Amino acid sequence: MTPQIEIASVDKHYGAYHALKDINLTIPRGAFTALVGPSGCGKSTLLRSIAGLESITSGNLRIAGTEMSGVPPRKRDVAMVFQSYALYPHMNVLGNLTYSLRFKGFNKEQARKKADEVAQVIGLTELLERYPRELSGGQRQRVAMGRAIICEPKAFLFDEPLSNLDAALRVHMRMEIRALHDRLGATSVYVTHDQVEAMTMADHVVVMRAGVIEQQGAPLELYDNPANKFVAGFIGSPAMNFLDATVAEDGRSARLEIAGKPVLPLARTLQPGREVTVGLRPEHLRIDTAAPRLQVPVRVVESTGSLTYSTTETEPELMIVEQGRGRYRAGETLPLTIAPEDIHLFDPTSGTAL
Amino acid sequence: MRRILSSVTDGRGFDILLVSITMIFLLALSGMPLVYNVVMSFQEVDMFNLNTFSRPYAGLENYREVVSQPEFGLILKNTAFFVFGSIAGQFVLGFALAMFFMMRFPFAATIRGVFLVSWVMPGLVVGALWGWILAGDFGVLNAILKGIGVIDSTMFWKSDPRLSIWAVTIANIWLGLAFNMMLLSVGLAAIPRDLYEAAELDGANGWHRFTTMTLPMMRSTIGAVLALGLIYTLQQFDLFPAITEGGPANSSNVAQYWAWQYSFLLFDFAKGATVSVMMLGFVLIASIVYVWSTRHEVRG
Repeated sequence: MTPQIEIASVDKHYGAYHALKDINLTIPRGAFTALVGPSGCGKSTLLRSIAGLESITSGNLRIAGTEMSGVPPRKRDVAMVFQSYALYPHMNVLGNLTYSLRFKGFNKEQARKKADEVAQVIGLTELLERYPRELSGGQRQRVAMGRAIICEPKAFLFDEPLSNLDAALRVHMRMEIRALHDRLGATSVYVTHDQVEAMTMADHVVVMRAGVIEQQGAPLELYDNPANKFVAGFIGSPAMNFLDATVAEDGRSARLEIAGKPVLPLARTLQPGREVTVGLRPEHLRIDTAAPRLQVPVRVVESTGSLTYSTTETEPELMIVEQGRGRYRAGETLPLTIAPEDIHLFDPTSGTAL
Repeated sequence: MRRILSSVTDGRGFDILLVSITMIFLLALSGMPLVYNVVMSFQEVDMFNLNTFSRPYAGLENYREVVSQPEFGLILKNTAFFVFGSIAGQFVLGFALAMFFMMRFPFAATIRGVFLVSWVMPGLVVGALWGWILAGDFGVLNAILKGIGVIDSTMFWKSDPRLSIWAVTIANIWLGLAFNMMLLSVGLAAIPRDLYEAAELDGANGWHRFTTMTLPMMRSTIGAVLALGLIYTLQQFDLFPAITEGGPANSSNVAQYWAWQYSFLLFDFAKGATVSVMMLGFVLIASIVYVWSTRHEVRG
C-alpha cells in the first residue's frame, strides 16, 4: 500500500508545553484512520499539523510524497471538516460548496456543474439556495462534507465532526461518512474522543495520550491485545475492570485482592508471588452457577432489556455485562467465571501488558 | 392594591414606566429643542423677540439668505472635505490598526487600550495639542517633515488657506481613530477563527480571506462605524476654536462652526438655526443608515 501521509519523529511545542512527542505514523492511501484519546491528548493538534494550521517544531510530514513542513495550508491540497462545521454564514450552500473552486480556475458554469454533482452525492440538491442559518445540524454537517469533497483533496481531515449532533443522527452519519469514504476511495483522518466511533469507522485506530501514541492498529487488534492498561481501559465499553492480584505458588493462577481472595486460572505461567494488575472485560465475565470462580455481591443492576449491567459491592467495584435480562437482583451474590485466555495482565507500575 | 403593585414590579406597568421615563427625557431635552430650532429657521428672529415664541413668519427667507452668502459654497466644500476626509482617514487607519492588534503579540491588548487615550481626551485639549504640533515655525510636524526631507520650506498649517482645512481634518482623524479601531476590533473578534482556517484550506490567500470573509462578515459593523463617524464628525466643534477658528478667511470653516458663529458671534439666531437644520438632514440620513445596518446584529 502506498503511503499517503507519512509522519516521522514529529514534535510540537507550545512554549514550554510539549504537545506532540515523537509521533510516527504512516497512513496508507485509501485508509480510514482514527485518532482517538481523551481531551488534551494531542489528537486535534496532530490533525491540525497535517492540515498546516499548526506548525510542527521538528520532524517530517509528507503528504503524497511531498514534504509539507513550511507549506501553507492552502497549498497542501487537504480538506477539513470542522467540529463547528465552519460554514461561511454569509454564503448560501452553493456559495459554500464552490468557494474553493474559485481559487482553482473554475468558471461559474463549471463550478455550478461540480456543485450539482456533489450535492447529488450528499443529498443537498434541494438546499443549494439556503443559507447555513436555515439548515438543521445534520444538513450543515452535510454541507461541510460537500465542501470537503468538492475539491477532490489528497486527504480528508475530520475534527470531531459528529459531536454536535444528537445520538441517533450521530450513528447514522457515522455510517454515511464511512460509506462516502469508501465510494470516493479517499484517504481520511478522523479525530474523535469517542472510542466507539473510532472502532466502528476506522481501519486503523491510533490511541493517543498526553502527546504520545500509546498504540496503533486494527480496531479489534487493540481490543484483543491492548499494549497497556491505558489502551485496555480506553477501548471497549463499558470499560475494562482492573484488579490488583498476586501470582499464586503454581505460577498458573492469580489471587485477586478483593474480599474472599478468589483465584483465577491463567493461560500462561508467571513467576510465583509477582504482583500484577488483572484486566477483566465486563462482557467476558460470565455467570456460571455450576463452577463459579468468584462469588461477588451485587450492588446495582441496570437493564436495557437487551443487556444487563451489574455493578458489584466489591472494592474496587466490578462491572459485568450479560445478554438479555438479568437473573440476579441487587443484594444477591453473582457466581462468575472467566476464560483464562480472556484475562489481561499488566505490570502494576509501568502498566505495560505482560 | 396588590394587583396594582405587582403590575408595577413585574407586569406591563413597570415596562411602561421605564419606557415613559426615557421618552419624557428624550422629548424634553432633545425633541423640544429640535423642533424649536426648526421652527426658528422659518421665523424672523432678532434681539427684541428672542424671549417670545410668536415671531413673524419668514418662510424660506432665511434659507435663501444662507445659500446666497458668498462663503456658502466654500463652507459646503470644506464641510464635505472635513467629513469625508475624517471618516476615510479614521476608518482606513482604524481598520488597519484593528487588524494589526488582532495578531497575537505580547501586550497587544494593553497597547490597544492605550490608544483610547486620544478618544477620552476633551476636544479642546486635543485641539490645543494639535495646535502646537502643527505650529508653523516651531511645530513638531514641520520639524519631522523637514528632517526626513519631505518638505524644504516651512508649512503654515494653520494660517495657509490651502492647508488650514487639512490641519483640523488631521487632528480629527487622530481624535476619532481609537473609537473606530475599538468598534472594528469588536467586529473582528466576533468572526470565528475557524472560518479563516476553513477558507485557508479552501485555497484562499490573505487578500482573498480579507475580501471574502472579513469584509462581508463585518458589513453591519462597518455600516455602524461609518454612520457613527459621520454623526460624530458633523458634531465636531471643539477642534475649530482651538486650532483655526474657521480661518483664515473661512478657509477651514465648516457648517457646524458657521452655525455657532451666526448664533453666538453675530447673534443672528435664525440663520444659525437654518444652518443647523440643513445639517440635520445629513445626520438624519446617517442615522437611518446606522439603524438599518445594526438592525440584524445576530450572525447566522
